[in-house]
Amino acid sequence: MAKESPVQVPDKIQDKQSLADSPVFLEINNVTKIFGSAVAVQDFKLQVRKGEFVSFLGSSGCGKTTTLRMIAGFELPTSGTVMLDGEDITYQSPNQRNVGMVFQSYALFPNMTVGQNIGFGLQVRKISKTEIKQKVDEMLSLIHLEQHIDKYPYQLSGGQQQRVALARALAIQPRVLLLDEPLSALDAKIRVELRLEIRRIQQQTGITTVYVTHDQEEALSLADRIVVMSQGHVEQVGTPSEIYNHPTTEFVASFIGQLNLLPVENVDLKNGACTLGGQMVRFDHSEPRPVGETPRLAIRPEEFQFGQAEGHNVLKGRVENVMFLGAVVRLRINVRGALLSADLFNERAMSLPRVGDVVMVNFPAHACWLM
Amino acid sequence: MKRNTFWSWFWLAVGVLYFILPLIATFLFSLRAKKGVLSFLAYEHVINDPSFWESFLFSLVVAVFTILVSLLLVVPTAYWIRLRLPQLRTMIEFVTMLPFVIPAIVLVFGIIRVYSGAPFHLTSTFIGTDSLLVAAYAVLALPYMFRAVDSGLGAIDIRSLTEAAQSLGANWFTILFRVIFPNLRVAILSGAFLTLATVIGEFTIASFLVGIHAFGPYMSLIGQNKTYEASSLTIISFGLTWAFMGLLQFITRGRAESLAGAH
Amino acid sequence: MSSKPDSKPVENKRDAPQARSALSVWRDWLGVAPFILFAILFILLPSLSLLFGSFQDSKGNFTFQNFMDLFTPDIMGAYWVTIRISLVTALGGGLLGFMMAYGVTVGGLPRWVRSGLSTFSGVASNFAGVPLAFAFIFTLGRVGMVTLLLKSLGVDLYDKGFSLYSFWGLSFTYMYFQFPLMVLTITPALDGLRREWREAAENLGATNTEYWLKVALPILTPSILGTMILLFGNAFGAYATALSLTGGFINLITILIGSQIKGDVLHNPGLGYALAMGMVIVMAVMMTIYYFLRRRSERWLKQ
Repeated sequence: MAKESPVQVPDKIQDKQSLADSPVFLEINNVTKIFGSAVAVQDFKLQVRKGEFVSFLGSSGCGKTTTLRMIAGFELPTSGTVMLDGEDITYQSPNQRNVGMVFQSYALFPNMTVGQNIGFGLQVRKISKTEIKQKVDEMLSLIHLEQHIDKYPYQLSGGQQQRVALARALAIQPRVLLLDEPLSALDAKIRVELRLEIRRIQQQTGITTVYVTHDQEEALSLADRIVVMSQGHVEQVGTPSEIYNHPTTEFVASFIGQLNLLPVENVDLKNGACTLGGQMVRFDHSEPRPVGETPRLAIRPEEFQFGQAEGHNVLKGRVENVMFLGAVVRLRINVRGALLSADLFNERAMSLPRVGDVVMVNFPAHACWLM
Repeated sequence: MKRNTFWSWFWLAVGVLYFILPLIATFLFSLRAKKGVLSFLAYEHVINDPSFWESFLFSLVVAVFTILVSLLLVVPTAYWIRLRLPQLRTMIEFVTMLPFVIPAIVLVFGIIRVYSGAPFHLTSTFIGTDSLLVAAYAVLALPYMFRAVDSGLGAIDIRSLTEAAQSLGANWFTILFRVIFPNLRVAILSGAFLTLATVIGEFTIASFLVGIHAFGPYMSLIGQNKTYEASSLTIISFGLTWAFMGLLQFITRGRAESLAGAH
Repeated sequence: MSSKPDSKPVENKRDAPQARSALSVWRDWLGVAPFILFAILFILLPSLSLLFGSFQDSKGNFTFQNFMDLFTPDIMGAYWVTIRISLVTALGGGLLGFMMAYGVTVGGLPRWVRSGLSTFSGVASNFAGVPLAFAFIFTLGRVGMVTLLLKSLGVDLYDKGFSLYSFWGLSFTYMYFQFPLMVLTITPALDGLRREWREAAENLGATNTEYWLKVALPILTPSILGTMILLFGNAFGAYATALSLTGGFINLITILIGSQIKGDVLHNPGLGYALAMGMVIVMAVMMTIYYFLRRRSERWLKQ
């Protein structure tokens, strides 16, 4: 799993160049939301380009849904503005914004059929019946549910209901598509299928999208950019690989994926060296980073390899635990008191070390950094 | 979003007025038994009337029996159809809806027709008519009792409780009385209070079966002759209903469906 | 990440066991036997007895005459009055109850108002019959408090033709227990209007009115109608309140049946039984409609 040298991983199939040329479409400027005495969102700043898929990622209570609802108009910011296509929509009522919203609980109207649900927004806009029929058919083929047009929500599965909700939001040709944890209520397998569907549809229609989730895998696999939030603050904004490989705060580093934080001594920042459990280790000092009071070495478990390698750091330690997780084998190794997790890809012919064995693991200098 | 609550308050005020005015009117009237002076004389008369206590206690005892009979009928049945005979559920639910289809007056009509003549001859003895009364009230209480107990059972996992009890050696009797009933306290109490409120003031069935031995017909008789006492009785009756429903609300902490009554 | 939350204990499938031996099946039926016996003795038997009686003449021969006799103007009039009063109080009580329930749920009144209303409604819906009639006599009777109050303000109700002891007086009295029943039943339904439906409707461009007309009211209609049917049934079968208030002056079916049981006037038991059957038929029709409405709304709102 270790890489010889840092490889530039292309982020999405989408042409990065075309996104960069896109104009800024949705701007959230210094938005703060306070409920009573609790600060839900603090100074949120973001510029989203047209056609971009942005994900708000964080655990419950971090403010991601509140921010989304402010874009939709269901909450009003305590301060700050929301601009859409150059227009200040901060105080506009929700039924005038023309943003499409998909709710976690689908929120399909139970008294209407699939066709009527999808056509609702058009009906409200007094569009002619023939045009509505046309649009509804178009939407149904987009989500592949043509034969369900006359069914009622209770007759559909969760995944089907959510697709209808998506079609309903898209039918009005909104300027922005907002999704509030749309997959949380669904089974794991449906979740994976449906999120690919959502991305496919988004790319097909080119609609600017904001996707709120607490699931890292969803955010990492779907978004062009991710906004990691914690307790009302934005921790970091970046592409998935930026967030993963170059986390700027400790929160982001430990929230996304697994991370080893190992205590080190004798830190030499200029040359990028320190000692870990008495052994010398070189780290990536190319980027200026704030280092805390007690410096720690940050390295992802997948960066380790067995044995020694030319030019790589080497650590010697005793195996404390071996966990077979299927595709990955996770080892807990004790290096003079510091416990590190090492993830190795499973190989059929591999013989696993046993608890108590002394092993050597290596990793390149650029795979770790100081926090 | 700030809502204009004017109309909400308006309709509330209308309802509250509707509710309170008759009570105020009755209460004020009840204080006027003594000429020219406000007093509780009417209440004194009622409390000192032995027929008041007789009929009230009679109805109370009948209510208690009704509750016991209903519980003994409803709880095992509701339990069994959940645990062993789910296919019977539709039929049993249908039966519990029947009292809605058969008004009290029709029920008492039918009961008298069947049980006053041969071969039962129940109406010629006190114990006979009293039993018929309890049975009729149990029918009336059926929908509410069943609904309360059924939803109470729905909230506890009776399969696991039963299996646990069985594995510890309990027989059905023990399971019912020491495991199921105690866990249904809230549901049972809410059904009981509702039945209590319904039975104590009931008039229709009581008037045909037991006459003024029961509280309802007693009130009616007083109303025909003594207006002041009638008003104080009304207030007393209202106070009782309030007490029962208040206790009921306290016990169920406000689950609205259990509060609805019918007449 | 967990799979779809399934918080309700999975009773329906687990409770019912697979194959059972014949003995234990027989034993299970024993458990519900008392209930079934009771139902047969005190619901089925009386009803059947009335049914058979309605087809018999005074000598015990089979006849349709009793039912034919129902179609006399007096009896038809009685049915019509009873139906009218039930409709009026169901609609009137239903509307007032709905407005109040709306106020404490969607309408934004404070929490304490809601629990107060709940208690009041519980009491009022049970406070029917003899004491209720008395209370209204003391309020709106010839020398009732409100009557006298209005008189002192220059408005003489009884002069203007109003009388408590009339159709409208009785209706007004009935509504006392009708509207609280509506409040109690419709409040949970209003609570069941999920916030997301309103937000989704707004999000798609609907105004408040459009949301109510196209989404909320259609969703609520089965419950509203269903409750109104219950209210109808309530009023239709009411006896004590009517008797205590009007002394039998207004010819309601229940009053007629009551007289029949007492043995006055009609001296035609078969007719009495036919009257009772007529009531049961009307109620059965209402309950069937109610059942289908309930089913429809439960299906829609099923998760």
